[in-house]
Amino acid sequence: MPLGGILFIAVFVILFGCLMLFLASKAGKRVYDPVKFEAYECGIPAQEKKDTKISVKFYLTAILFIIFDIEIIFMYPWATTFRDFIQSGQGLFVLTSMFIFLLVFIYGLFWEVKSKALEWD
Amino acid sequence: MSTDAILFWILAFMTVSSALTVVLITNPIYCALSLALTMVGVSALFVTLNAYFLAGVQMIVYAGAVLVLFVMVLMLFDLKHELQAFTRGKMTGALKLASIGLLAGLIAGAILMSNGILLTKSEAFTSPDMASDTTKQLGHLIFSQYLFGFEALGVLLMVVAVGAVALSRSKGGTHAKS
Amino acid sequence: MGQDTFQITVNCIKLVLVFLMMVQAVPILVWLERRGSAFIQNRLGPNRVGPLGLMQLLADAVKFLTKEEFFPAGGVKFLYYAAPVAALVPATLAFAAIPMSAPVHIDPFEMFGKNWGPYTFFWQGFEINVGIVYILGVSSLGAYSILMAGWGSGNKYSLLGALRASAQIISYELALGLSIVGIILLYGTFNLGEMIAAQQGLLHFQFLGHTVESTWLPNWGIFYQPLAAVIFFAATFAESNRLPFDLAEGEAELVAGFHVEYGGFKMLLFFIGEYGHMMVAAGLMTTFFFGGWSIPGVSYESVYQWAQGAAATNSGASLLAGLIHFLVWTVKFAIFLWIFIQVRWTLPRFRYDQLMDLGWKTMLPWALGNTIITAIVLLIAHS
Repeated sequence: MPLGGILFIAVFVILFGCLMLFLASKAGKRVYDPVKFEAYECGIPAQEKKDTKISVKFYLTAILFIIFDIEIIFMYPWATTFRDFIQSGQGLFVLTSMFIFLLVFIYGLFWEVKSKALEWD
Repeated sequence: MSTDAILFWILAFMTVSSALTVVLITNPIYCALSLALTMVGVSALFVTLNAYFLAGVQMIVYAGAVLVLFVMVLMLFDLKHELQAFTRGKMTGALKLASIGLLAGLIAGAILMSNGILLTKSEAFTSPDMASDTTKQLGHLIFSQYLFGFEALGVLLMVVAVGAVALSRSKGGTHAKS
Repeated sequence: MGQDTFQITVNCIKLVLVFLMMVQAVPILVWLERRGSAFIQNRLGPNRVGPLGLMQLLADAVKFLTKEEFFPAGGVKFLYYAAPVAALVPATLAFAAIPMSAPVHIDPFEMFGKNWGPYTFFWQGFEINVGIVYILGVSSLGAYSILMAGWGSGNKYSLLGALRASAQIISYELALGLSIVGIILLYGTFNLGEMIAAQQGLLHFQFLGHTVESTWLPNWGIFYQPLAAVIFFAATFAESNRLPFDLAEGEAELVAGFHVEYGGFKMLLFFIGEYGHMMVAAGLMTTFFFGGWSIPGVSYESVYQWAQGAAATNSGASLLAGLIHFLVWTVKFAIFLWIFIQVRWTLPRFRYDQLMDLGWKTMLPWALGNTIITAIVLLIAHS
């Protein structure tokens, strides 16, 4: 795996981005106006930021995402080796054990849909 | 020094310094972001050990999912309040001392235990066939030796999902439902 | 890593070229998008600056550069400036791993009084054995730049837009990851190059003792995994925050989403990131389902033999064949980019609950069903 190449291009891109920001900061003319620097709020004075109440659904989505993501990740090694298992005659066994895993997955998804955890109103 | 060694030292420096930033900086958001950087560094270190799939999982699960959740949650707190709670008070001081002791013990223990390992050559740990395709080997292991653990993990993850849903709809707070 | 100076130099130049290709494609795509949308909406679009309005690209770049530098009062300086730079990195790293053409074999030659051994160069930024996992992992870092921008701007709309965008991205990543399982089952590998190699030739497979062979259809993944293709393509729309999934910047309610407070070049960097995600999606679509760089009906060997007649050396022939395949890849790639633009100007925006319902309750179960059916069919066909 070309780790060096990945590091090289990552550093290069970051430097490129910084250069762009630097150039842009030098090129444009500036006119100072205190109103300009207020947070954009369609013309009315900005409300305080900490008043923002965020729905707990966002966290729930993120947590459920992590859980399903891990389950999906576990399917990847299965998917790469499944043909080998079929060749060695273990295909049915491996498929059944994967299905048991998937059954739990499907049941979890079904339960979440049924308990309205995924409803956005 | 070979290129591999140079790469390792760059990555190790990056990982350790971002891990130190997590502990030393007081702003929780920067902590979470540098923890994400630490995870990326760890996954790059996995790559130097030929554990490609593990590196990918480290990226997808930790850097891409768990820490995104952390950052998302932290961005919605009143951070100044949290800052004070973490830096003042006798309780925190005692906790700090205890953690320093624990960390020192961990480091000393790790050095003592790895004493023999560090001196032996690294060839003992990487057999040639291990470097070839670790993903397939992992797949074979999951469906032979660790099958029960694999199925139990599925159940465990579902329990976690149920717990998260139950917590999110517990009463009290600003988002209680009925 | 067992490479000599020549190889390292070529690889570094190649990486920079891939990155520049991505950056250069953005103004062209913006122009195409504006002209295309005008074409779809029965108007003219930019046509004053240069022929067909092509110089509009340059004019836009100059305009972006000379815009006033601006920092909102309530913002966090480091995050505000780091976010646009961070938006570039995941897209570039992922795009560099997509194979664009057949590998080029260079015979030994002499230069600077030294012998340089035979080389094999891949027509991509870097060749990675676990290509898909790498691309998924790297592009999942895209959520950070959005969150950083949303929080760093110190604006309510930015924060809401960033939250929506990241919730949407992670929701569709599930369907995306699950549709890829079917593809991995089909090819049995993570390696993108091997996937393309498996799609060479004409459509042929064995099922229940019968051998099915087509006389003209290419052996492309789309014929084996049509459902996965649809789910994958739809999920990539959501991943790159494009219409009909651009809830992150729903103008009616959020002004412009997480980049409300950005302007000028910083905005442009976000643009490059977004279009970069589009390009990664289009590249993956060609690789997974449409044979990558392979030409339907023409094998690599025949192209190589023709090139041997046209070029003097074997290295030249290999390079020429690689160039031809690169052009074919570009055509396929461009078609998908055009579909991205066409869809944007055809479909209306979803509502947020519809978006989440589609991701979790429709695409996820369908992708799951696709995986199960693929596994069963594989078991029947191969045992």
